[in-house]
Amino acid sequence: MKLTTATGLKSEVFAPVTPPPVWTPLKKPLSECKIAFITAGGIHQKKQDPFNTAGDYSYREIPSDIPTSELMVTHGGFDNSDINKDVNAMFPLDRLRELRDEGFIGSLAGTMYGFMGGGGNVDKFREETGPAIAASLKAQGVDIVVCTGGCGTCHRSAVIVERACEEAGMSTIIIAALPPIARQQGAPRISAPHVPIGSNAGEPNNPAMQTAILKDSLNLVVSMQHFGEMQVLPYEYRHNV
Amino acid sequence: MSMSKEKAMAYLNEPAVLCCQRGKGTVISEADLEDPTIFADLQDSGLLSIPDGSLTVGDVLGMTLNADVEALTALRPSMLEGGAAKPAPSAAAGGAAPGSVTACGAAAPAAPAPATPGFGAAAGTAHFDAPPALPGGPVTIHVDSLQGLDISFPAGWPALYGLCGAVPGAEAPVAAASGTAAGGAASVPGASGAAGFSAASALGASGAAGFSAAAALGAAAGLAAHTAPAANPLTHKYYSVQNVKLGKKTSFSSGTLTIDSALTEKALSSSPLVKQVEMDIITPEKRHIFTNTIMDIMPVAVKCSGKTGEGTTAILDRVVFCLTGLDEKGVQIHEFGSCEGYLDEKAAFGRPGAPDDDDIIVRVNVTIQENTGMERRGPLAAHTACDVIVQSIRDVLKATDEAPAFTKTYHDTRRRGLPRVCLVKEIMGQGAMHDNILLPNEPAGVIGGQKNVDLGNVPVMLTPNEVLDGGIHALTCIGPATKETTRHYFREPLVHALAADEEIDFIGVIFVGSPQVNDEKMYVTERLGSWIGSLDLDGAIVTTEGFGNNHIDFAGHIAAIGGRNVPVVGVTFSAYQGQLVVGNEYMDAMIEINKDAGGFENEVLACSSICPEDASRAQLMLKTKMAGIPIAPAERKWSQAVIDGNQWLADQA
Repeated sequence: MKLTTATGLKSEVFAPVTPPPVWTPLKKPLSECKIAFITAGGIHQKKQDPFNTAGDYSYREIPSDIPTSELMVTHGGFDNSDINKDVNAMFPLDRLRELRDEGFIGSLAGTMYGFMGGGGNVDKFREETGPAIAASLKAQGVDIVVCTGGCGTCHRSAVIVERACEEAGMSTIIIAALPPIARQQGAPRISAPHVPIGSNAGEPNNPAMQTAILKDSLNLVVSMQHFGEMQVLPYEYRHNV
Repeated sequence: MSMSKEKAMAYLNEPAVLCCQRGKGTVISEADLEDPTIFADLQDSGLLSIPDGSLTVGDVLGMTLNADVEALTALRPSMLEGGAAKPAPSAAAGGAAPGSVTACGAAAPAAPAPATPGFGAAAGTAHFDAPPALPGGPVTIHVDSLQGLDISFPAGWPALYGLCGAVPGAEAPVAAASGTAAGGAASVPGASGAAGFSAASALGASGAAGFSAAAALGAAAGLAAHTAPAANPLTHKYYSVQNVKLGKKTSFSSGTLTIDSALTEKALSSSPLVKQVEMDIITPEKRHIFTNTIMDIMPVAVKCSGKTGEGTTAILDRVVFCLTGLDEKGVQIHEFGSCEGYLDEKAAFGRPGAPDDDDIIVRVNVTIQENTGMERRGPLAAHTACDVIVQSIRDVLKATDEAPAFTKTYHDTRRRGLPRVCLVKEIMGQGAMHDNILLPNEPAGVIGGQKNVDLGNVPVMLTPNEVLDGGIHALTCIGPATKETTRHYFREPLVHALAADEEIDFIGVIFVGSPQVNDEKMYVTERLGSWIGSLDLDGAIVTTEGFGNNHIDFAGHIAAIGGRNVPVVGVTFSAYQGQLVVGNEYMDAMIEINKDAGGFENEVLACSSICPEDASRAQLMLKTKMAGIPIAPAERKWSQAVIDGNQWLADQA
């Protein structure tokens, strides 16, 4: 038996190694959707226990009507100064309430979630934290879950939870400061403003930029048609620590 | 994003980059370091730069930071305690020295390292027991799994032994560009790299690839594999056409095809959605003519005897039908991108799915009800209307007394005992209008066929001859450059190449759809996997047209095959615009079919579809992979130079 072969052949198409696709198409207009926001950037209420910065797969409930002055960050993976100035830079709750009030979105989930994705235990996030958050959001009737990562590992943890939500039947998008990680980890939809780790949702105390990033990301949930799509957003903020 | 311990061990020689901000005094572990597989993307995004003099993963594991360091910083000696000088490699990571070739050499200094496939020198942790350096010593063959092994001794035994590269003086039967089959991993004492392959090859040993060892041994002993043509071959009778004109009655005589111009009225009545049908003739010298988007290119063929794929088919030579369409509002219909414009600029003449330079084109332009151009029923009505006209010609052709200009006969030869190969062709199945009609009553026709979408996109097996006999009518509504028209299937180069390949047993062509719903995608992929598992395949090629969401199915199909230890090659348009958003470890042998200079879907009909050159590369790459010879990983960005290099090898073969 003979097979004609060659040495020196090279594969011609680069294939990233990604998890299997998950996808829930959005079936109603934004103005009728209930939105939840989750973050892996270590946001929690000041009265709650802080996260263990060495790695923590627990999560904290954040009521959507809480004043943002009662929120804070515990995260060792990036410079916290932007969030200390304005928590909306990672968890844009004030902007979400404005979008609800103006009718751009239908409503907000009563309870949203913060966790600290840095150094996150992949199995725990995949098997416990992700499904638990997804089940709670689904039970609240959430249609769209928007999330932010934080550092590199945070993006991984955020995407694990995001994928759990998508699997549970909600359409999700990650606002990614590190889009290559989001993509490699299998994020269903990715928006990518030019922002640093730590201000993933936009420049602190710049409501116009934060609103624009949120609105564009929500619109992308409507327009994106297939798994793994990524859109770079035209907003840029640099901070020098 | 941090790494696992296993991953860090595999990337000891890659640059060490902090995944997150880390404080002074941190003892660096794999959890602090970014995954090197995404460095290129991070660098492209401007998020990372790796200056010269940066340390490697192996250098920094266990070292201590002497200052706070930001995320995505490549570590340098000045950032580490006592780290002004780069540590010696031998100090790294628990003694697992990067690059184990040296270690192997030290363990067995007298033995030239057998170049077994898969031993990457850079792997760092690879090790194996060096065999004794005895020429003619034991041949060790490792097989991961094995199916259907039949070994008959002793007839071929001396010849077999003589083929082993381990025997002093024996000639290794492998040249650089031609070898024999191998699978699994073999190590042969004292053998050179090439002989290492050939020894395993000569034994025909393969668990994963599943070659029949009986066949291999038989071949070594001078026995032939069992070759069996199909009971009913397919004969294509080609009738030469010199002239096509419109007239009052459809006829074919002395090389002149006359088409009844009133057939457009008959076509008009085929569906209430069809509002207008026009027909004209475009001869080769009149190509600079405006055309609406080209929905399909079709041959004119009719069964004279037998079913699709066997018996006799009459075909008009140098004539094709070209279906174009609009809706009542003047909107180009059914395309993801469209190719309206001047015909000579909007079609890649000569591609399997396009008209040839010297073809006479019968153009049928159908206007359908407004706003149905992107619904399933609209394009289907247009194809059905066109088929009414073609059918009238088929009826005349079937009854013709003219003599065929030439004939071609296809035998669907099965070469039992040789490696079993199948072709998987992914077809569209999204939104219903992206449909294909399987096995219509007449070759490349519409009536009587089953719609892929109605079948649930599940895999359907056709014989090679059924494909080449017009078993697929394409409604495909994807981009013009990357779609496979009805004529493409009629002339599919991979089917021709694999059917003619005397080194394999080409068992057939599986058509599988690309569903719209994600859950259905999984279902279809699993059904394909079950087929593949049951077919005892030794190799498969998967093709897809278009790009984007169907790449999810494409990746799934390749994983379903590769995951069953069947060597698989993927064929797709990717280039710049169609870069894959999903992938898996089985997509390591891929063929790019882009022909656009910029790597875009350029809206030139059939430009970036599979042509014979692509088929030759896919065929060679598959057989090379089946033989266990490594295929180098793809570069991260589309590179025409890689394609050209592979093409050169394929041309030599």
